[in-house]
Amino acid sequence: MAVFIVRRSIGLIAVLFAITVLTFLIFFATPGVDPTRALAGRNPTPETVAAIKHQFGLDRSLPVQYLLMMKRLFISRDLVSYGNQALKVVPAITSAAPVTFSLVLGAAVIWVVFAILTGVLAVILKGTIFDPLLMILALIGISMPVFWLGEVANLVTQDRLHNTFLFHWVPPLGYTPLTSNPWQWFLHLVIPWITLSVLYIGFYARVLRANLLDVENEDYVRTARAKGLSERRVLLKHMLRTSLITFVSLFGLDFGVLVGGGALLTEVVFGLPGVGKLTYDSLVKLDLPVIMATVIYGAFFITIANALVDIVYARLDPRIRPA
Amino acid sequence: MIQQGGGALGIGEIPIGPTWQTNYFIGADAQGRDVMARVLYGGRASLEIGIGSALICCGIALVLALLAGFFRGPIDALLSRLMDLIWAFPVYLLAISLATVLLTKPNGLQWGFVHVDPSSLWVPTAIIALVYVPYVFRPVRGQVLSVREKEYVEAAIAQGASNGRLMFGEILPNVITTVIVMLPLMIATTVLTESALSFLSIGVQPPKASWGTIIDDGQSLLYTRPWVAIAPGIMIVLTVLSLNVLGDGVRDALDPRAKLRMRG
Amino acid sequence: MGGGTAIKPREGMDFVRRSVFLGVSTMLVVALVAGCGGGGKKSSKTTGATPSAGAKGGTLITRANAAPSGSPDPQVNYTLQEWQFLIITHDGLVAFKRVGGAEGTKLVPDLATAIPTPTDNGLTYKFTLRSGIKFSNGKTVTPQDVKYTFERLFKIGTSPNAGTWYNAIKGGDACVKTPKTCDLSQGIVINGNDITFHLAKPDPEFLFQIALPFAFVLPSGTPNKQLNIPPAGTGPYKWVQYAPNKQMMITRNPNFKVWNKDAQPEGLPDSIVQKFGLSVEAEVTQVENGQTDWIANADSIPSDRLNELSSKYASQVHINPLLATWYFAFNTRIPPFNNLKARQAVNYATDRSSLVKIYGGPKLAIPTCQVLPPNMPGYKPYCPYTVNPGSGKWTGPDMAKAQQLVAASGTKGMAVKVNSDTTDVDKAFGTYFVGLLNKLGYKATPQFLSNDIQYPFIQNSKNKVPFAFSDWFADYPAASDFLNILLGCGSFHPNSNSSPNIAEFCNKGIQAKMDNAATVGVKNVQQANGIWTQVDKEVTDQAPWVAMFNPKLLDFVSKRVKGFQWSPQWYFLLDQASVK
Repeated sequence: MAVFIVRRSIGLIAVLFAITVLTFLIFFATPGVDPTRALAGRNPTPETVAAIKHQFGLDRSLPVQYLLMMKRLFISRDLVSYGNQALKVVPAITSAAPVTFSLVLGAAVIWVVFAILTGVLAVILKGTIFDPLLMILALIGISMPVFWLGEVANLVTQDRLHNTFLFHWVPPLGYTPLTSNPWQWFLHLVIPWITLSVLYIGFYARVLRANLLDVENEDYVRTARAKGLSERRVLLKHMLRTSLITFVSLFGLDFGVLVGGGALLTEVVFGLPGVGKLTYDSLVKLDLPVIMATVIYGAFFITIANALVDIVYARLDPRIRPA
Repeated sequence: MIQQGGGALGIGEIPIGPTWQTNYFIGADAQGRDVMARVLYGGRASLEIGIGSALICCGIALVLALLAGFFRGPIDALLSRLMDLIWAFPVYLLAISLATVLLTKPNGLQWGFVHVDPSSLWVPTAIIALVYVPYVFRPVRGQVLSVREKEYVEAAIAQGASNGRLMFGEILPNVITTVIVMLPLMIATTVLTESALSFLSIGVQPPKASWGTIIDDGQSLLYTRPWVAIAPGIMIVLTVLSLNVLGDGVRDALDPRAKLRMRG
Repeated sequence: MGGGTAIKPREGMDFVRRSVFLGVSTMLVVALVAGCGGGGKKSSKTTGATPSAGAKGGTLITRANAAPSGSPDPQVNYTLQEWQFLIITHDGLVAFKRVGGAEGTKLVPDLATAIPTPTDNGLTYKFTLRSGIKFSNGKTVTPQDVKYTFERLFKIGTSPNAGTWYNAIKGGDACVKTPKTCDLSQGIVINGNDITFHLAKPDPEFLFQIALPFAFVLPSGTPNKQLNIPPAGTGPYKWVQYAPNKQMMITRNPNFKVWNKDAQPEGLPDSIVQKFGLSVEAEVTQVENGQTDWIANADSIPSDRLNELSSKYASQVHINPLLATWYFAFNTRIPPFNNLKARQAVNYATDRSSLVKIYGGPKLAIPTCQVLPPNMPGYKPYCPYTVNPGSGKWTGPDMAKAQQLVAASGTKGMAVKVNSDTTDVDKAFGTYFVGLLNKLGYKATPQFLSNDIQYPFIQNSKNKVPFAFSDWFADYPAASDFLNILLGCGSFHPNSNSSPNIAEFCNKGIQAKMDNAATVGVKNVQQANGIWTQVDKEVTDQAPWVAMFNPKLLDFVSKRVKGFQWSPQWYFLLDQASVK
């Protein structure tokens, strides 16, 4: 296990290093990108431009610039955005992360509950019209672009039906921290939670149904049935348990990606100031320090989630040993 | 695109709403363009990119997986790490910079005889294809690894077959089904990704349109002319839905385990 | 103002947003109600000098998509967004009169007791500092603070206009070269409460420049590095919070007492906050629902919603003309538009009413052919590129003449890239010109870059952009702020991302006239303005641009806001509005 963790960590660092170097190079290869612009004003003298370049270390060679940036990001932790001098990168990420966590956690609860319900229900109702119906619904969920669903949700809840009893409770777009007002926090997130979870409900329900049907013919299920256990008990206790292995590993991967900023489109559409929105804003402005930090943050979560899933998988399924 | 001299709603101006006739069936956008016509044309771009990138992606992934799974050792390690890298790399950053680089070169990019025009659909196609290579690579590589151990491959090795013959003659036919099964689902995924990139203005460049760019345009018109954003979304849902259904069908037809599932 | 703009209509979460350089505009005569289209419909109102009514107290809640770009430091920041806060937290020696309407462009004494008349051929300005004024930290303002402020302006190293405006002060040029050792004892001489400025060269715009926030007086000892929140000031409010991802906030300064209500009146709200993070779509909804009082001009209300606003919320909408010109610049150094006839042809062919329509209709913009906007000193209507020229007004495109000119120029069939940014409206302008140029026989293709890249990109001569969209808003009411900065030989810097002369236009004869106007202006403003009128006309004849229109600004406030006042210099006067 220790060897596994060490190997994974080295892999993580190597991937992070490669990603940061690539990000850095791509940034400097993009024409028109000019960090001095936000500061230099409309008609600066060459001296002013030079002074700003110097202040950001942009007059140094690329490797030195890279090292300086990493030093300011990880060691002195005082890296500031090119776009706004008062925006410190590290605190910006730490203050955005809770928003993303709130969004992803809530959506995850919804999608896990509803995916299991739908998947199990489809298996129970197999042979009736409801099984294919549920699966078509799940497919529709998978087929909807999340940003579009979000836009339509906004249109309905913020405008068209906002003044009806259905949606008059929907607060304006934005975010209220859990610590300042839990009820408002909840209200602000309900629609984003549902929007984000629709895709995953569909996907997970289908995966679960397929897995349940796969294990149906396994020996231990037949044994359980032969023992005279009730169909419900067989389904819930024996089949569901095994089928959840895939479910859990998929969940880990998706959760990692989303927490790492993968919920970008949802955050943007609903104006939630999370890591995804921060990433988006920095990309829009090609604000390298913030891009760098969000990229590292995202890659970290994705890679960690990968590793964790491998470990959990190994624990759950003795046939697999960590490689 | 047809110019009507601007149709943005100013003060005291009324938009061309849905007419439910052949002209302006679902209204005009902010520039006075017929949204229905744009949705139909946009679909062409969306599908071209979706299918093109899925094919390219599967092709590259297949070749890389064959190489990695066949040669194993350092080549496998290198390719696998490369896939990790691509998987964790921010796709939007890549798309933005690549699009900007291409747009700002006076005549697009020129690699030998390959010429890429800035507004070419190849840009989003290539980006999307690249991003999903690891997604296809991983399962195929696993399969190559296991097929390579099969008796008939060892028999071929014993006969002194060349590496190329082994890879393409013996292993490829046994893993290609996986790729074929994945293809419709990949197209579904790439169509969705294309729409997301275009929605963020980094996919298809004007004057070309795709469903994603039309949704992007429609966003600022959402409260005044919702159909501009809703119509292309519905087209995406329908397309992706049919691709998914097709994908299910293909899998059921080609994957024996799935057939078992159908019967059981 | 290049690139950034306070008033660009853009969609809710348009992918790329320009960082907002300031758009401060001023005008001497504000033609407020004027016949800007649309009959007697009372759909929107223009607000100049509405006397402020309403009680003190409460919090004015404003919103912007993002924090003002750049640095929060008052001597570095160059955005109207932050300046609207800085003018009520800090003071300069002189100030623009704090009232709505045309009066708002007049200079009045602020920390100084009077506005000095320059002596010594415009080289010497003598101010007397008012005594007894206190900073919000309790310290009294001294002449040393004034000198400290101007030295800090250079020492900080990154103040945008240190090298273009304030270096006029004797010793300033040396300070630009070696900021660390900056010493202005030659340029700023203190004697008791008297502060005498000695300039190295005459500058007709010096008083305007020291009325802007770069020159607002800060306490001695303020660190000579960029601050993360503006320091103590003398205004009726003081800064309490600056969180770039959340909000900025000012509250009442207990040490403030009115000394000249024209320069710095007492404010009505107890505090003013600006929250960041929402798309403009969501902001509009918030104002409609009364959750936000005002949307900062950095975010522009999508033109598609204007109709709804002006009919449903007519009393909450205010429209005012800006001192700005929106244009497409030709690259006058590369084919096809190094050819005068080709440039004139496009000018004749351009249907400016279409462009106005894209922007939001005739109530929000007025077509123009020239560089200077109406109400700018030196402005005289001039439009050769129209059917039936002569009146100075644009009335319609002259396609026949355009085609004739293209044929004569021999540029037909050449490839042209039309550059614009990805904002909805700007993209539509680009699309329009692609169509037009193709109609004229060119092979035009669009090149739409994200907003943050487009402005530096088109300025750089290395990128060889033949035809590019841009716009400009005045810093203060002076013609040179348009003509010399945008089309003077001196503001073209080859291969630089900071070269505001996008057209790369340099005409020796015209430049000599501009230089002459600047010299004459020190002594005789009237005569100088006459020269600027001539320059404007000659430049327009040379057609380095397709000038499109002069825009107006639409402000949308919540129902509870009373006493909306709009100054041509600072736009909405936040502190003069009541929310009680």
